[in-house]
Amino acid sequence: MRRRLAAALAASLLFAGTARAADAPPGAWSCTGCHALSSAPSVPPNPIPALTGRPAVEIAGIMREFKSRGRPATVMGRIALGFSDAEIDAIAEWLARQDH
Amino acid sequence: MSTRRRTFLGLTAAALAAPALVRAQGAAKVVVVGGGFGGATCARFLKRFAPALAVTLVERQKTYTACPFSNEVIAGLRPLERQQFGYDGLARSGVTVATTAATAVDPAARTVMLADGTRLAYDRLVVAPGIDFDWTALPGYDEKAAERLPHAWKAGAQTLLLRRQLEAMRDGGLVVIAVPAPPYRCPPAPYERASQIAWYLKNSKPRSKVLVLDAKDSFSQQPLFRRAWSDLYPDLIEWVPLSQGGNVTSVDPATLTLETDFDSHKADVANVIPPQKAGALARLAGVADRTGWCPVEPTAFESTLQPGIHVLGDAALAGAMPKAASSANAQGKACAAAIADRLAGRPPQAPRLVSGCYTLAAPDYGFSLVGVYRPDKGELREVPGAGGASPLDSDPVLRAQEARYAEGWFRATTGEIFG
Amino acid sequence: MANVLINAPKTARRGETIELKALILHPMETGFRPGANGTIIPRNIIQDFTASWNGVEIFRMRMSPAIAANPYVSFCAVASESGVVRLRWSGDNGFAVEESVTVTVT
Ligand SMILES: Cc1cc2nc3c(=O)[nH]c(=O)nc-3n(C[C@H](O)[C@H](O)[C@H](O)COP(=O)(O)OP(=O)(O)OC[C@H]3O[C@@H](n4cnc5c(N)ncnc54)[C@H](O)[C@@H]3O)c2cc1C
Ligand code: HEC
Repeated sequence: MRRRLAAALAASLLFAGTARAADAPPGAWSCTGCHALSSAPSVPPNPIPALTGRPAVEIAGIMREFKSRGRPATVMGRIALGFSDAEIDAIAEWLARQDH
Repeated sequence: MSTRRRTFLGLTAAALAAPALVRAQGAAKVVVVGGGFGGATCARFLKRFAPALAVTLVERQKTYTACPFSNEVIAGLRPLERQQFGYDGLARSGVTVATTAATAVDPAARTVMLADGTRLAYDRLVVAPGIDFDWTALPGYDEKAAERLPHAWKAGAQTLLLRRQLEAMRDGGLVVIAVPAPPYRCPPAPYERASQIAWYLKNSKPRSKVLVLDAKDSFSQQPLFRRAWSDLYPDLIEWVPLSQGGNVTSVDPATLTLETDFDSHKADVANVIPPQKAGALARLAGVADRTGWCPVEPTAFESTLQPGIHVLGDAALAGAMPKAASSANAQGKACAAAIADRLAGRPPQAPRLVSGCYTLAAPDYGFSLVGVYRPDKGELREVPGAGGASPLDSDPVLRAQEARYAEGWFRATTGEIFG
Repeated sequence: MANVLINAPKTARRGETIELKALILHPMETGFRPGANGTIIPRNIIQDFTASWNGVEIFRMRMSPAIAANPYVSFCAVASESGVVRLRWSGDNGFAVEESVTVTVT
């Protein structure tokens, strides 16, 4: 059962993977080094919140708050300042589309 | 230089237009040597970005042992198994994993020789061999001496050796850590190690001391470390900078003595971090320069010495990016995207890379250094105004939170590479 | 003594070549660098380093603005008689520091 699930997952990755590099705006893949992309629940849950499947406007809004220091953060303030608002919007839209 | 580059790009395009004629059969071939944070990321994302590519990962070890958090193994806070990852996940994603060493590269013929006798052809080669130690740089310190005075700078047996030596040490003993001049793998890690060893000593052998002999006068996140040391380990850690005679000039493995220009220190446990250079394969591939490291351009991490070969991770001279696992991971993705774009005839886009390095000064005391980078005037430079270290004045709740996020980073990154 | 480090053997055999090492904490400010407010930071360097053995000069070095902060000097001498090795640094703004070590020649 577990095995079959893994195989199915791998297959879905292979095909979902046709998403070309060019589809992701610059910097989008840097987020996933901390915010795990997989929606498979991890045990114990990762303390860094997952972002996939959340509405783009919500992610973009939070990023702007991080940038203006209007939202408490350990690292996100320092990261958000490295992106323009337009870049943030593009990344947020891309993240919202990733829900595999 | 630019003419050569243009000719080469022209060639690649030709090779792509008629792959069947130029290169025996079918899909374009990318070979990645080194299955660490840099190489394994790149291999995995090549398949993700361009599933039709034939990607082979050459890694000499069956199991990868990650360095980040290995200082916690030394402190006895974490089993080594939590650092270890196999390559089944990469194989499942369609990467061909060759468990053997690469022994030579022929850039003209575009082939890689493997220790098992195979010769692999490639259209693009990615070299991510990590570091090697310069065994000639410190008199008295060679591979045999490392069995007595562990470096523990490649995680695995050396990590456990240092752990066992600390466990066997008497209370009241002196632990000496020798730190080389830059560049070396993970700039803050020697000081994280001093902190973690101090944590162990404070709790188990409180009369002992840590002496850090340093070949430089300042170090990464120094104010944060100094604050952590005075908060957590007052009088337990002594740091001797270069200008106070900290430069270790030779070691005597028989007596565990470390000589500096002005003094001599007899250790109960000695951790010698030797000077470093890019992994041997970088030299064999002709991508390392006289410094021992590999110059690259900042978009695809292509070598400026050998077109068609990309260099990632610790081995590369990646501008302002530190030699860290998070940098290697970010570079692996950027390089994979650029190779996929280029092989598909699209111009690669300029990457934006983020590195986030966590330090644990104690199990519940974390801080971080973040950088956002982009190509700028031919080099990877920090985006001004972004990045930087955790604030010096921060309450214990935030330090504890960062310690938990550190573990989150490790799980997310290793999951995305090996999961 | 706090800002000078010296390494010399306490004893030596007659005729033996010994190595002497000395490091001094000093900014070696070049006089070419602008400071935080944009004006040039005035030059402040060590100009001269000398070593004498029982009063006889055995080593002299002139330093320039190109020498890095905290200069470290190492040189060799032949041990001919027991005595005092005196090291002296002097430079801009009346900077002068003197330290000595004793070497017993057997
Ligand atoms: C104590 C310590 C703590 C650290 N902590 C952190 C941290 O908290 N955060 C962080 O971001 N970074 C940390 N780092 C740094 C991090 O470990 C490195 O930056 C990272 O491993 C670099 O990845 P890489 O892929 O370049 O090299 P590596 O991870 O060393 O991988 C290289 C791989 O190539 C293989 N290889 C080499 N030559 C060949 C060949 N000829 N044929 C086949 N295979 C070959 C090796 O077996 C190895 O698996 C730490 C390092 C140390 C030492
Ligand atoms: C170094 C690890 C790291 C990287 C890289 C990173 N994040 Fe974060 N992210 C965090 C952490 C940790 C938090 C929790 C807030 C904090 O303390 O900074 C967070 C929180 C967030 C949140 C708020 C989630 C919530 O539900 O409150 C958003 C949105 C976010 N990040 C977006 C991004 C985007 C977009 C990127 C890529 C540009 C990114 N992050 C890259 C570590 C990271």
